[in-house]
Amino acid sequence: MSNQSPALAVDRLTKRYGDFTALDSLTITIECGRILGLIGPNGSGKTTAIKMLVGLARPTEGTAHIAGIDCSRDSRKIKRMVGYMPDKFGAYDNMRVTEYLDFFGAAFGIGRRKRIKRIDEVLETTNATYMRDRYVESLSHGMQQRIGIARTLLHDPDVLIFDEPANGLDPQARIEMRDLLLQLAASGKTLLVTSHILPELSRICDQVAILLNGKLRAFGSLPEIMKSISQKRTFEIQFSSKEAIPAAAKIGRDFASDEADAELSESPAEAIIRLRTAKSDSEMGELLRQLITADIAVNQFRELQADLEDAFLSITQLNENGVQVADTPSTEKPAEATR
Amino acid sequence: MNQAIINRELASFLRTRRAVWLQVALAILFATLVLLRWPTDARIDRFGERSREVYRTFGFGLLAVVILISPVFPATSLVRERIQGTLALLLASPMRAWAIYLGKMLGILGLILVLLMMSLPAAAACKAMGGISSGDLLALYGLLILVAAEFTALGMLVSSYAKSIDSAVRITYGLVFALALLTLGPHQFLQGGTGFMSDAAEYIRCASPIAACMELFGQQDVSGQGLISAADIAKRHVVFGVFATLFMAIWTISRLNHRLLDQAKSAGTITNELGLLSRVFRRLMFLVDPQRRKPGIPWFVNPVMVKEFRTRRFGRSHWLMRMVSICVIVSLMLACFTAVGSADWNVETIGGILVVLQMGLVILISPSLSAGLISTERESGGWDLLRMTPVSSLRILTGKLASVVWPLSLILLATIPGYFVMIYVKPGTQQSMIRVLICLALTLFFGMLLSTCIGSFFRKTATATVAAYSLLMTFIAVPMLIWVGRDAPFSHSTVESSLTLSPAAAALSAIRVRGFEDYELIPLNWWIVGGLSAVFFLGLLIQTWRLSKPD
Repeated sequence: MSNQSPALAVDRLTKRYGDFTALDSLTITIECGRILGLIGPNGSGKTTAIKMLVGLARPTEGTAHIAGIDCSRDSRKIKRMVGYMPDKFGAYDNMRVTEYLDFFGAAFGIGRRKRIKRIDEVLETTNATYMRDRYVESLSHGMQQRIGIARTLLHDPDVLIFDEPANGLDPQARIEMRDLLLQLAASGKTLLVTSHILPELSRICDQVAILLNGKLRAFGSLPEIMKSISQKRTFEIQFSSKEAIPAAAKIGRDFASDEADAELSESPAEAIIRLRTAKSDSEMGELLRQLITADIAVNQFRELQADLEDAFLSITQLNENGVQVADTPSTEKPAEATR
Repeated sequence: MNQAIINRELASFLRTRRAVWLQVALAILFATLVLLRWPTDARIDRFGERSREVYRTFGFGLLAVVILISPVFPATSLVRERIQGTLALLLASPMRAWAIYLGKMLGILGLILVLLMMSLPAAAACKAMGGISSGDLLALYGLLILVAAEFTALGMLVSSYAKSIDSAVRITYGLVFALALLTLGPHQFLQGGTGFMSDAAEYIRCASPIAACMELFGQQDVSGQGLISAADIAKRHVVFGVFATLFMAIWTISRLNHRLLDQAKSAGTITNELGLLSRVFRRLMFLVDPQRRKPGIPWFVNPVMVKEFRTRRFGRSHWLMRMVSICVIVSLMLACFTAVGSADWNVETIGGILVVLQMGLVILISPSLSAGLISTERESGGWDLLRMTPVSSLRILTGKLASVVWPLSLILLATIPGYFVMIYVKPGTQQSMIRVLICLALTLFFGMLLSTCIGSFFRKTATATVAAYSLLMTFIAVPMLIWVGRDAPFSHSTVESSLTLSPAAAALSAIRVRGFEDYELIPLNWWIVGGLSAVFFLGLLIQTWRLSKPD
């Protein structure tokens, strides 16, 4: 892969089907060896975007380049550079795993000797060697996902695009999938992953792009996105007994009374109050001092880390409420706009 | 309790746009059939013979519709439910197996009745012409409903065993055609004789609804050659139909239980890891063991062709070898009859049997192998994976077609020894045999290209297979049905013109089989079939190229 070009550069990529706009001016860039998570609800345009990147759909407007090569004009070159795993496995009846991989290896023009060696390697990488003689249609969903990844790795592509790789997997399989994706990124491959399982993505992605109704709502690293969504943070304070809750809640409310939209919630069963506020760390230190002065026994005082799920929900909810959040004008780069 | 199932079976189809189109198309087809034979001259028919001619055409049209359309619904019903997981829900409900079965059966029969109702205006027109009684119409519709019930029971039985929707459709159509057409074969060649073989042939043809229908229309026999049979075919068929339906229904109901779902996934046993004795045994049994570990695909072989062979059970080498062996044995046995030389079994008769068998095989196998070549990929999601490889659309297409040409060619070639023996017995037939082989080869390509081209326009393999079978049968069987009505109602020139479209008829006329010796179909038939094959190939090329392009 050329060092000068980014691994993936998408500029104002648009796809329309008649009057319906499936994807509207998507602009993103990924550097080599990074993992981009593409998230969004069903029908948000994720798969449409992916199909244009791998040359299975032609953009109505805009361009997409992988390592400097145009995805729609040079689709033959792109096929050799990209490993694509669609959300549907694509099993063939009566075919064993090795036969299945052998076929795709031959289709990619890999010589027989090299292919046989390569099949062993990719099965090893995906921890699927024990499945080599099994029929692909009889494999469980998790096993099929692994074979799907093995298939994408056969021709050793620089860019890997996985559409919902963790979909339908059990927790153990998800952890294994996450480790596998990290391992692939560590080996220098650039990954684009879509998923509905947001905690999984937040653990592995360097960058995240959030799509909603075909539009890019946010793009950047997770902390950047969180910062762009809201300046508020949530603090959780746990007490030694639930009897302390009324007094502590009163102190908390008084403390945040100067902030109009601060929120305080109580959870007596856990002996916890949560305060969502825009106050700084030093100001929050003052709250802790007031609680201790009031002789309330504090067990824990911590800030809750916002995750991708919060970001995603914030963006989708804000949009439904009609408040414009990171609704990037198509002429600007969304990453900058959200920061 | 089964009311819900009946409603679902009926409603789920009737509310689709496809159902509306099907009903409209059938109404137009039946009206056209009547209009085609509607008298337009000023003659008066005192005995109602002309109205009976219209009635026969209409009746055969109805029968063709039942044979072509009715198997698809039951063939897909149980296997689709099992794949989608709804069969487990049904079996987990308090409903009894017979109630589930009856609900499905009545739902499907209701659907076929709705489709048959589209023919009532045309039937009324036939009756209005005179010469047809209400009893005639009732007998025809009664027989058609029985045939529909037979095929529904057969389809559901196959569906309870099938692993995939398309294999269920293929097997059901194969059995339906065997029941409707192949059962007529023995009697065609043995009629008028005495002895066990002749009697057996007489009984076997009673299983065919075509023979029963012909008797209802007063036509006595298929290719009767003036011989009047005393057998009451229609009554025998009713008895056969009722027993066969009941038998298959009980068989299927006995399978509707947890065992249908309680099946282990294949462990992927591989011969290479078995003991020496097992390996030797499997080598002897299979010659080409399907469970041995395969070497990689060589560079000079089209990978798509290899993939097609490997993904089809029938495509596996051991199945091909078995098929070819059977063909060699049957053709040599038939040739042996010729060499022994009894008065009735001359070269033309034996050649005719051989041609009919080969045609039957080609017609049964071509759509089953070819119709799903593209649609199966699209249905399973494999087409997108293929598009993501650097393999060109032309290479994909040639690989897929080669995977069909090879087995079919081997089957054809396997029968050549039989033809050689016949040429040896009667050297003057050499020219005819060569013509027959050309006809068979053309049929092979025609059937394959037609099925692949038509199938490529559908997303579902089951629909593709049905469409391919229907069109191929239209080309091959409809002219044969017109031939059955030769001289009355159809004139010699009409029959000859229609037979020109059928490669099967051309092969039979080339070998001068009884009933076909008066028709000169070659070389016009070759030009038509060759031309149509070229058109289908072109259509297929364009469709494959279109599907390979970015959306």
